[in-house]
Amino acid sequence: MKKTFHLEILASKRPFFKGECEELIFPAIDGECGILADHEPMVSAIQSGELRFCSDGKWTYAAVSEGLIEITSQYVIILADTVEYPEEIDKNRAEEAKLRAEEQLRQKQSIREYYRTQAALNRAINRLKISQRHINKH
Amino acid sequence: MPNMREIRTRINSIQDIMKITNAMYLISSSKLKKAKKALSDTEPYFTRLQDTIHHIMVHTPEMQHIYLGNLSDDEYSCDKPVKKSGYIVITADKGLAGSYNHNILKLAEKTLKSGEENYLFVVGQVGRSYFTRRKMDIDCEFLYTAQNPSLVKARGIGDTMLDLYLKHELDEVYVIYTKMISQIHAEPRIIQLLPLHKKMVGYSDVGTHHEHQSALFTPSPEKVMDYIVPNYIYGLIFGTLVESYSSEQSERMNAMQNATTSARDMIHDLSLIYNRARQAAITQEITEVVSGAKTQKK
Repeated sequence: MKKTFHLEILASKRPFFKGECEELIFPAIDGECGILADHEPMVSAIQSGELRFCSDGKWTYAAVSEGLIEITSQYVIILADTVEYPEEIDKNRAEEAKLRAEEQLRQKQSIREYYRTQAALNRAINRLKISQRHINKH
Repeated sequence: MPNMREIRTRINSIQDIMKITNAMYLISSSKLKKAKKALSDTEPYFTRLQDTIHHIMVHTPEMQHIYLGNLSDDEYSCDKPVKKSGYIVITADKGLAGSYNHNILKLAEKTLKSGEENYLFVVGQVGRSYFTRRKMDIDCEFLYTAQNPSLVKARGIGDTMLDLYLKHELDEVYVIYTKMISQIHAEPRIIQLLPLHKKMVGYSDVGTHHEHQSALFTPSPEKVMDYIVPNYIYGLIFGTLVESYSSEQSERMNAMQNATTSARDMIHDLSLIYNRARQAAITQEITEVVSGAKTQKK
């Protein structure tokens, strides 16, 4: 039995996960980052990407968008805009969002708008990637 | 003795209004159900976000960052004589919600008086028409956002705020919203979005009594702040929108329920008066007939 830590994942629209976890891997801004029990206290930002954690010997995968993570000696908490299981992702919607963002990127935009559409594009691509990776397996 | 026909028309008009208030009551109670579900889904995120940021702020090593408002080599630092404050005021899109709009606008007005240079950002139609009527400048409007709050809308508002803040067109940003305390009780609140302070007023103090260990920031505290703070702001705005929408619906439901009840009472009272008037008219008629017959007999 591996040592566990308390993990709480909250998306802005619903609580996603709460419980004991053995290992957690999240997409940080400078690459993926893995967490085991007894990690030193840390604060970091999360980018949109794939989040996976092992609880009770079973790995769970999820698509995550921008957020933050706080690791303390007692618990680990993830606060993100959205967290979704691969099965929940609406492929058509993500595809549409991707096309829309690509269309907008081609048009002339202010810098702020540009960053915003780029972030939207990243989210859409990430959703598509994760749903493809995990659903086609079964 | 009031005229019978007058009473009849009053009763009819009250009945018509009661139909409307009753329908609005039913509509808002079904909307409230939806809003409450959204609120209960978002609330954990909302409170934990505030706690976590608070917690992070306590543990942050001393550093200077634009979001903390303490860039020392910056001419736009905190001790500038006139602070430019931005206020996001969240109101409803429609009236007839009891004291909901009134309370929030009263608080907004009071707060605006205390500052010297204010910028208004209004969410919702009612707030917009209120401030235009008072000839107060609204700097930016986010219309039709009070209904069905979504993360995309919250990001839009957050982006505008961050942009103005980073350009030094605003020194402080506040949100004025309504917090739903219980089914029948909602309270207007102010929270400060930017800059972040180590001691933030009005924040719940859960989870701050951990041992004071300073946390590691990867890759660097500045980088992390760059990413975390905008995210925190989107989340916070989203939370306040959800909270406000939910309080709006519950206030409207209560107001309409009260209106329906008092309409029912009025109809009850009026029908008593109406019956009395009818009774009196009949009695009078009988008296007239009887006395007429008597005179004829003589």
